[in-house]
Amino acid sequence: MADEDEPPILTAVSSSARQLYQLLRCINFSDKAHVQINDDGLKFSVDEASVMEGSAFLDKSLFTTFTFHAPSSPKHHSQNSDDEDDEDEEEDDLSSTPTFQISLPSLLETLQIFGLTDPNNNRPPWARDNPTSTVFSNNVLGMNNMCRISYDTAGSPLSIILTEATIRTTCNLSTYEAAFSEEIPFNRQSLAFKTIMRGSWLFDAVSELASTSPESLTLVARMSHGKPYFALSSSGDLGSARVEFNNNLTGRSGAPTLPPTNPNTDDPPTQPNLLETFQLSDPDTTLRSTYKFSQIQKAARAMSQATKVSIRADTQGVLSLQFMIEVETGKVSFVDFRFVPLVEDDGEEADETMVDGEGDETMAHSSGQEEDEDEM
Amino acid sequence: MRFKASIQNINIFTKLTASLNSLGPLAWVKLSDDQVCFTIIPEQGTQVWAVLSIDTIFDTYTVQSAAGNVINLEVPLTSLTRALKSAQNATSAQIRLTKKDNVPLLALTIVTPSSSNSYAAFPPQGIDSEDCFDVPLNKAFGGGSRETIVTQEVPVRVLGPDTVAGLHEPQCREPDVHIILPPLLQLKSISDRFTKLALAGSKPVSGTTATRTRLELAANMHGCLKMSIKTDAMSISSVWTDLNNPELDPTQVAGGEIGLAEHPSTRMKQLGTADGRSDEGWASVLIDGRDWGKVMSVGRLGGRVIACFCHDHALILYVYLPNENGEDESVLTYYISSYSS
Repeated sequence: MADEDEPPILTAVSSSARQLYQLLRCINFSDKAHVQINDDGLKFSVDEASVMEGSAFLDKSLFTTFTFHAPSSPKHHSQNSDDEDDEDEEEDDLSSTPTFQISLPSLLETLQIFGLTDPNNNRPPWARDNPTSTVFSNNVLGMNNMCRISYDTAGSPLSIILTEATIRTTCNLSTYEAAFSEEIPFNRQSLAFKTIMRGSWLFDAVSELASTSPESLTLVARMSHGKPYFALSSSGDLGSARVEFNNNLTGRSGAPTLPPTNPNTDDPPTQPNLLETFQLSDPDTTLRSTYKFSQIQKAARAMSQATKVSIRADTQGVLSLQFMIEVETGKVSFVDFRFVPLVEDDGEEADETMVDGEGDETMAHSSGQEEDEDEM
Repeated sequence: MRFKASIQNINIFTKLTASLNSLGPLAWVKLSDDQVCFTIIPEQGTQVWAVLSIDTIFDTYTVQSAAGNVINLEVPLTSLTRALKSAQNATSAQIRLTKKDNVPLLALTIVTPSSSNSYAAFPPQGIDSEDCFDVPLNKAFGGGSRETIVTQEVPVRVLGPDTVAGLHEPQCREPDVHIILPPLLQLKSISDRFTKLALAGSKPVSGTTATRTRLELAANMHGCLKMSIKTDAMSISSVWTDLNNPELDPTQVAGGEIGLAEHPSTRMKQLGTADGRSDEGWASVLIDGRDWGKVMSVGRLGGRVIACFCHDHALILYVYLPNENGEDESVLTYYISSYSS
């Protein structure tokens, strides 16, 4: 290559490897991750069998320095600050958007190489072997894990340099040719359903349903008596269970079935609406689409970390979960997941009868059981 | 043949045997008038030659034998470690060599304050009654505090002088680089992560037996230590700077001042830089990641460690155990041989 003199494609310095780790950990379900670099940041995406994909966007605001030089003659760059929108353009200007694959587990391991290294941290200062920190040293400020990411030219390794006190770790991750798997198409223009809620509530619901190790998860949304109704119901060999999110404060007793699993979700009495937004393209019908439970569960880490999650389904049933994760007060980042729905087959009918009836007896029972189990 | 001692420092003794045990199941223990030697020579992997001053572990120590007051024993470390574990909260512990049914044993007599149920209305009875001496237990009923006495017996083998005559500490050429290592636990947590990384990278070949991870360790005479590992998916290295290269004592080097001037480390001082960025001046060895992790377990003893690098040949670690009165130190010497690169 003749571009010896060219500046490196990417140099980015973050003062906290932990933040990057926190975000990337959310999509840690595959060995290889695609990395795309553009002016706005770094996008890491992983997919599974083209039916599920997850991506984490490391916005350049997460870095103290972020210098990107497009490798070839740069055409236009998408100027959208919202990462939601630039996904569409990415396909267009691939020439100036370096894309490659790296081993995600390796990257994650690297990012957390420090932090637990100092055995002294557990001890009071006077018991330490060699006092390394003073009140003025960096680790007091939480600045002890500087992380520098660089990518020189196309084909060169992605190098991560971490420094802590007098230790400097350099990790060169081999980059692989991107396997151009098509992104799961999600039609933002024709949404069938959209709701926004707290990430931890979704997490609680999914972890509650997971106890019966179900195979599928069905998302049900409708307007019932002028009020939004949203439910997640799971079914598998051991039976089925359902978690309902009701937006009425004075709901029927037993109806808001969010189980009190997580102490974090101890809601104050003046609880805001569970669902911040609730839009159905067709309020008269019930939206119902089914996904593989094990796949949804892979987003659990993101759910538990997210402050908010936007749940959207397009008219084709593709589910998009967008998580807003606060890495630091005031700084938010987004992690996206998309899921292709399961093809509705014969099993669907059984499902239908169970879910359909208002205040259905069997369902009330099954969800009641869920709660009982939980309280034991 | 008599050996009897009270264990003065149960904690150190336990940690020592536990970390030695990770390298091999059997130890050759040589008890003599002025020192105790633990030697581990495993089939493969790292050899340890530990020389401890008596008072590092023992107190009121007597050893007598026909062979110049030296006793050589083959001690199963797992049993010894387990026995010592029950002495964790002991007020005192004794060790002695005895015989039972013609089997030589190391008998540990451990006295622990019986704290099991101090609020119970009835004194604990029948606990460990086989191993307990009844007398002190009964005696204690009058007073407020009770003691439990546990006797642990570790079967050992007595080795004749001619058996051990053929065992010698490995000889090695003068090291190229000697350096004081950073705290071993810190080193261990990073090296463990490295091996984990390497294993994660080589996942497809999980069928092959115990994939070996080759860790490269290097150091220069300018206070830098480098640890690195390479896999298909990645290469990673950590560099420590600002470490210490202790000065050699001319009286200890063969050839005195001249020997020192010609010492390989003096030559290595000319090469390399203190920021660890130069490619020159490194003495490196290639070692097994898992084996290294086991060696690092000695870090719990919290001693000062000097590493001697013989480029492409061997790594020797001298672990100096902390000693309160600063007298003759106890040293554990680890001999780690390098894989050829």
